[in-house]
Amino acid sequence: MITVRHVDKAFPARNGNAATLALHGVNLTIDTDEFVSVVGPSGCGKTTLLRMIAGLVLPDAGAIAIDGRPVTGPGPDRAVVFQQFSLLPWATVADNIAFGLELRGMPRDERLAIADDQIHAMGLRGFERHYPRQLSGGMQQRVGLARALAVNPAILLMDEPFASVDAQTRRTLQEDLRTLAERTRKTIVFVTHDIDEAVRLADRVVLLSPRPGQVVESLPVGLSRPRPEDLDQEPAAIQLKAYLWRQLRGMQQATSPKSRP
Amino acid sequence: MTTTDRTHRNLRIASIALLIVGWELAARALDSMFVPSFVETAAAFCRIVSTRPFWHAIGISHQAFVIGFGCALIAGTLLGLAMGRWRAVEAICDPYVNVLLATPISAVIPVIILAVGLNLPARALVVFLFAIAVIVVNTRAGLKTIEPALIDMARGFGATELQMWRTILIPGALPAMMAGCYLGLGRALTGMIAVELLLVAVGIGRMILDCQGMFAADMLYATVVFVAGEAVLLLSAVRWLEHRITPWNDQVAIE
Repeated sequence: MITVRHVDKAFPARNGNAATLALHGVNLTIDTDEFVSVVGPSGCGKTTLLRMIAGLVLPDAGAIAIDGRPVTGPGPDRAVVFQQFSLLPWATVADNIAFGLELRGMPRDERLAIADDQIHAMGLRGFERHYPRQLSGGMQQRVGLARALAVNPAILLMDEPFASVDAQTRRTLQEDLRTLAERTRKTIVFVTHDIDEAVRLADRVVLLSPRPGQVVESLPVGLSRPRPEDLDQEPAAIQLKAYLWRQLRGMQQATSPKSRP
Repeated sequence: MTTTDRTHRNLRIASIALLIVGWELAARALDSMFVPSFVETAAAFCRIVSTRPFWHAIGISHQAFVIGFGCALIAGTLLGLAMGRWRAVEAICDPYVNVLLATPISAVIPVIILAVGLNLPARALVVFLFAIAVIVVNTRAGLKTIEPALIDMARGFGATELQMWRTILIPGALPAMMAGCYLGLGRALTGMIAVELLLVAVGIGRMILDCQGMFAADMLYATVVFVAGEAVLLLSAVRWLEHRITPWNDQVAIE
């Protein structure tokens, strides 16, 4: 269980810009095995929240804990999937997938065996010896996901992982992730700016306010597991998406200077 | 080798052939004892490379080159890495690196000779100063251009500082470090000849000056061609090494 209690985070002043308060008084609880999407207007601090759960940055105030233990840095219970894939350009697909295990000191043949299972599961067979730049964006993110799964984390933290792949590939990746979530029972925190994606994937959608970000609402998606094939026919999903659109549009109008009378 | 590769290679060969033919024709047209033709230069080249004094001179020059460039490579790489990783080190060293980068080192040669003497350490120091700045700035740039997301990724997997260097920072900076080595090598060769021509008349520089003094134009040209040829060979060797140790850099994307 991930607990975020009264968390503040500010970024210091830099290059003449004043300090910005990214998050203020964030409270959030995510259950074990739960799949939660975090959405909000751009710049609301959703990525910062994810990075704090990952332990890559620490909160200025408040506390984040996992199963009661405070987060003081990255840990083996968590793995992050990044928007820019963050693959090592100089390592092959197999070595990229095994990278997390390499850092944990696992011998090469052992970690490559685990990487091989992931290569198989992710449909990357035949690309083991390729370098990342020889792969399409979708394939690269499969490698990024495989690398995270290879360390067998209890918590998967995903930062707009499918934002930079084309629409068709994104849909396939979403379906694969959904299947994975139902099969492996991991806690997944999924940051996205795509409402359709948030509803399509998650058990619960958390809506953040504009900066400084706060949790405005926490909305259960209310669909059965496994997910119905065609989400566009599900009234619950349609209603939730429409509601989230209205909320987000309202926030954007409230913060946009053009809409002021 | 693809067809375009082959075309480019043929163009390169044609370009060199054109230079040689043009040189030969121009030298014959001028008919001056100070401008030898290509054939005369080639003959002189064959003559001098079979003499002991020539190789002795090469040996003397290259003592300074090997010591100076070797030290520049080690010190420049270490300094560049430290400056790229730690802001404080950068703040301390940056002014000196900038001075080294901006100053024409030839102007400093007399200063070094006065301070150190007309000996091997002085010549090696000149080579060192010629080469080190580009090695430092390229190595630093190599570290600074590593995607921050890669560093985050490794931290997320719990990388220690040592693991960070081994798995992210060194491989990430390697292409730029090779570029620095390439540029530094060219500058080191310049420094090696410059100090011998300007102040310490030994080695190849001495040979060039002697040929000039004796109006032995063909020998002079042959020596210069040898120096140029050596530089091209060494630089090609660095390029080749670069392709060998950073193969991901020239992998063609297949999309």
